[in-house]
Amino acid sequence: MIKTDQILDAKGLACPMPIVRTKKAMKDLEPGQVIEVQATDKGSLADMKAWAKSSGNQYLGSSEEGNVLKHYLRKADQTEEKEEVQFPHTVTNAELQGQLGRGDVLLLDVREPAEYAFGHIEGAVSIPLGELETRVQELDAEKEVFVICRTGNRSDLAAKQLAEKGFGRVKNAVEGMSQWAGETKQSNS
Amino acid sequence: MAGKTAIIASNGSLFDAYKVYNIATAAAASDHEVAIFFTFEGLNLINKEAYEQLALPEGKEQMAEGLRAANVPTIPELAEMAQELEVKFIGCQMTMDLFGLEKDAFIDGIDVGGAVTFLDFAKDADVTLTF
Repeated sequence: MIKTDQILDAKGLACPMPIVRTKKAMKDLEPGQVIEVQATDKGSLADMKAWAKSSGNQYLGSSEEGNVLKHYLRKADQTEEKEEVQFPHTVTNAELQGQLGRGDVLLLDVREPAEYAFGHIEGAVSIPLGELETRVQELDAEKEVFVICRTGNRSDLAAKQLAEKGFGRVKNAVEGMSQWAGETKQSNS
Repeated sequence: MAGKTAIIASNGSLFDAYKVYNIATAAAASDHEVAIFFTFEGLNLINKEAYEQLALPEGKEQMAEGLRAANVPTIPELAEMAQELEVKFIGCQMTMDLFGLEKDAFIDGIDVGGAVTFLDFAKDADVTLTF
């Protein structure tokens, strides 16, 4: 079970209804929020990907449970594409890869649970940006913390939060998962 | 708007209606600006009396059951949805005159125009389809 902001039941509906319903439901979501669309129309698998691409939203992935397809989409957030990264300490993905084997290092993934579920770096701890404020005590402030998201913007905000909370060694993995070339793990079942 | 789709509906069977409305609603849901020009038998697709009981093509009558089983929306439902998604319906004035039909024979919210009305919309469309 992947945590999302909304679940849309489009089961039993034929093309193009799952897409039409998704389009309507997306209108009510805040930018950055994630929706799970449940459908039995097999064509919805290809259609969701294509629709997300043409509408500028983010297709995260799909899983299958019996004859029900569950599609995960994240509403586009324009600010993520434009904002300047401000936290001064950053690492590239190549540098990050070299650091991951060390024992006193913690990799924090601040994307939404569904984004994490469809591809994350092994060992990464998942705390969505919106929950970091209340869950920060789950993290060891003595460790060096690398923060990653999709494109370096949410991780920038998270890195600032951690530094304010007394984390001494924080770095923003500024290239993000969208440019991660190494291996990823899935946890979507 | 992500694009523009112009559709000519010129045939009036149930299958034609599904082709037209499925593509139109899918395009509108993908943020396309969509207009459908209904002409000749295509006028059946927006005719208040006809669009609820469009005929299946000859020899395909047994597919009525399949359509119900697949939970495919009805044509009036699809037409309403298309209008909700701001698909523009244009009835062809010339064929309406030819068939002796007035605007009130058709569903609400349609425009009536001639070929040039459609061409003006279609001239810079990204997708143009004829059914």
